[in-house]
Amino acid sequence: MDRRAFIKLSAVTGTSATLASCGSPENHLIRFVPDDEIVPGVAEWKPSICPLCQAGCGLHVRVMEADVDVTRNGQRGVVKMGVAKKLEGNPVHPINQGRLCPRGQAAIQITYHPDRLTHPLKRSGARGSGQFQEITWDEALADLMSHLDALAAAGDQRSLAFLTRPRRSRRHDLIALFLNRYGAPPPLTFELFGEDVLRRANAMSFGREQLPTFDLARSRYVVAFGADFLGTWNSPVSQNAGYGLMRQGRPGMRGKFVQIESRMSQTGANADEWVPVKPGTEGVLALGLAHVMLADGLRPAGAAGQAGAVIDGWSAGLSDYAPEQVEQQTGIKAATITRLAHELAEFQPAVAIIGGAPLAQTNGLFQAVAVNALNALVGSVGQPGGVFFTPQTSVAQAPPSTVTSSLDKVAADLLSAPRSPIQVLLVDDANPVFATPHAWRVREAFGKIPFIASFGNFLDETSILADVILPDHSFLESWVDARSESGAMVAVASVAPPVMRPLYQTRAMPDVLLEVGRRLQRPLNLTWQTFDAMLHEGVAALPAPASGDAWSAAQKQGGWWGEMVIAAPPTPIAKTAPVRFTEAQFDGAPADYPFHFLPYASQAFLDGSLAHLPWMQELPDPLTSAMWSSWVEINPKTAERLKIAPGDVVEIRSQHGSIRASAVVSPGLAPDVIAMPVGQGHETFTRYASGRGANPVSILAPVAESETGTLAWAATRVQISRAGGDNNQLILFAGEAHEHPYGHAR
Amino acid sequence: MAHRWGMAVDLDTCTGCGACVTACHAENNIPTVGATEAARGRAMHWMRVERYWEGEFPDVRLKFRPVMCQQCDAAPCEPVCPTFASHHTEEGLNAQVYNRCIGTRYCANACPYNVRFFDFFNPVWDKPLHLQLNPDVSVREVGVMEKCTFCVQRINAAKTDAKAGQRSLKDGDVKPACVQSCPAKALAFGDLNDPESEVSRLSRSPRGSKLLDELGTLPKVTYLARQTQV
Repeated sequence: MDRRAFIKLSAVTGTSATLASCGSPENHLIRFVPDDEIVPGVAEWKPSICPLCQAGCGLHVRVMEADVDVTRNGQRGVVKMGVAKKLEGNPVHPINQGRLCPRGQAAIQITYHPDRLTHPLKRSGARGSGQFQEITWDEALADLMSHLDALAAAGDQRSLAFLTRPRRSRRHDLIALFLNRYGAPPPLTFELFGEDVLRRANAMSFGREQLPTFDLARSRYVVAFGADFLGTWNSPVSQNAGYGLMRQGRPGMRGKFVQIESRMSQTGANADEWVPVKPGTEGVLALGLAHVMLADGLRPAGAAGQAGAVIDGWSAGLSDYAPEQVEQQTGIKAATITRLAHELAEFQPAVAIIGGAPLAQTNGLFQAVAVNALNALVGSVGQPGGVFFTPQTSVAQAPPSTVTSSLDKVAADLLSAPRSPIQVLLVDDANPVFATPHAWRVREAFGKIPFIASFGNFLDETSILADVILPDHSFLESWVDARSESGAMVAVASVAPPVMRPLYQTRAMPDVLLEVGRRLQRPLNLTWQTFDAMLHEGVAALPAPASGDAWSAAQKQGGWWGEMVIAAPPTPIAKTAPVRFTEAQFDGAPADYPFHFLPYASQAFLDGSLAHLPWMQELPDPLTSAMWSSWVEINPKTAERLKIAPGDVVEIRSQHGSIRASAVVSPGLAPDVIAMPVGQGHETFTRYASGRGANPVSILAPVAESETGTLAWAATRVQISRAGGDNNQLILFAGEAHEHPYGHAR
Repeated sequence: MAHRWGMAVDLDTCTGCGACVTACHAENNIPTVGATEAARGRAMHWMRVERYWEGEFPDVRLKFRPVMCQQCDAAPCEPVCPTFASHHTEEGLNAQVYNRCIGTRYCANACPYNVRFFDFFNPVWDKPLHLQLNPDVSVREVGVMEKCTFCVQRINAAKTDAKAGQRSLKDGDVKPACVQSCPAKALAFGDLNDPESEVSRLSRSPRGSKLLDELGTLPKVTYLARQTQV
């Protein structure tokens, strides 16, 4: 050992001895100078936007000071920072009016999740092994840009694909613009519980390719076909607000609510009348109701206008839909059909809603236009207490890029082509490897893509396949925006600045796109230096408030909302042949697969993208009180016949695979229906969700809605069998599925 | 006149969504205990939504009922506490003083509503989840009993604000976290000593009743019955 090495060594050991002598390594020596002006103990409230679903609820974030562990220039230390403490609803926001659903409140745990990705990563092991090494942002960006430059140099720009969710926002506009300037196809979008069927139906019936908004507060009669509109569907908080007023907001007048579905949902539990219907026959029932109204002279056929004209046989009085015939198909008594039709005609204003499983059948489009026609017939379209379309801001007029091929086709192309048609895949906010049927073979297909970059915050089943991960900021650390497609009577363009400084070495995805666009060998000429400049431009183009400018006002209150001077013009209605009745097709012969399998969006996890949040894992499910569990719901008679007791392990087998879950015996579904919440069954999704439960999506049949090609996730039949006794995997908060080993603690 | 805090729950508008449950966790630093401890019945939800099935398929109904501490005026949890940790405040709240509590759990035995939760271990927030903690609410350590406080920190903050603004508290100034978040506005909170307050008005409703009224606990939470339309 030479003198130099000795001094080095003694310096190092001396330092670590000093550090160790300070006791817990958590007590850092370094305190950085605070960045913010914060008053200890005083809360500041800042606006933001909930990113968890398409509703786009406004947030009101409580910000207070806290000691935060940070790394600055490679040095670990502690700094006082203003950090988010609680998410509440933004009281002035037109969508959620100050309220928030359980998921929205748990969104804060995304920012503070212990397994968040804190810096860029490069794959160091085999793809999918989960072995990554830390790299710098310079290295990560250089890696991404070299692949984009190589594609451009080879004139192969169309081999770039960007996978994200179908959302309406400037963020998504930027993705589309980036791809357009680069010369790549429009973004590839995927959402398990997507709404393309309903949008298409609304375009056909009403000329609006958009999700509907319901004026429930002024309705006297609501009939919903499968839509979990008080739980997970469309714009749940705004719909809950309207529902509360519909029930008790008008002295002396209480609206009636009828729910038609195959499995009692949280929404259905609130109905005055719950009508179980055979899966896939909801549209037939809707036309059966229309038939009675026409036949009994309650409404003229012409009252439905275009929405009626798109239905085959409408002008002839829907002669195929007499109550007796409808009874045979739907399993609902003819007398009930007649009574419901008369109620619907007499209790005004009335509104019909369709969503969820009925649209995820092979005849989903037929079912949707049937309910649309019913709405038009009772006169609820655009009327108080009826169905509306939220005006869209002028910046939203560019139609969402619907002309993308669906993910199952993309996967099939990837698997069959000798050279992968996608050479570079960018992934943002999408986890199709988890949320698609295994029969689509998405994981295998993605394996053939030479280069995958993810902007994910977490390692999940899709981002683990990435070659490089460029982690995005959390929504509380970024400029955020959303254009609500539904949920308000006025146009809503939410926008908000960051609530707090970033905790880690992450970068906002839109800013990364802008930077990459500038630094490519052939720059993309994106106008803006930063994403907030793009947001500024969009909002500044909107009508200004009475005093001040639109941009300052929007930042302060969390968005721009108001009447649009020039509303977006309705989509021209394409001349199409009238929609004919088609019977719902199911995968699996009834003799071998006797049960309809109904996966549903869970109240806690939606499509599974929230299973990593501990508050959501421990939130008791509304209908079963289950926590941290996967379960399958079985009718009591079926359970008795198959000798399945509550808590028993049940195997569910389709033609495409099998899963196991604990049995919940529930009276809220028909003897031939098996239901299971989506969300658990993650292989890779943080310490809280990995390896927990089973994923019902995995065994779904690759069956598509016949007109739109979207996944018909309610069209699979299964067989079930008892696979074993209670294995203590079903955890209930209330009621005992089994004896607790330590007795009940409370 | 002193306040007398109460709540009204409209079962006709409650949709069972669970927003109140998460709101309560976020506001009151209630730990998640994890799957293993939850399976032992140690999950803590000061606010829960109960469900009652009636009938058989196809004529089946399900009713939701949010249940939190009923803040009884004749609270069975109070006289059994040997250390006066569980006690009655001047404003009618059943308060729990954590640093008096020695963990006998007599109060939880006595409570007919099952709304008291014992800390079987020190709470753990995997870092940096601790950053979400509300600095206005103390974190409970092992061996003490905890329960709904009607968000007493919010009551006190509203009083301080009113005093600073030289005005008196008005109806709606205090909203516990559950009431604040409720998407369907099924929950109302306020002063029962103010006959004009929303909660007083709702508590007088002919639809109103108290949970387990026959026990004589004199709860300050009124449930307004769900109605049925035929």
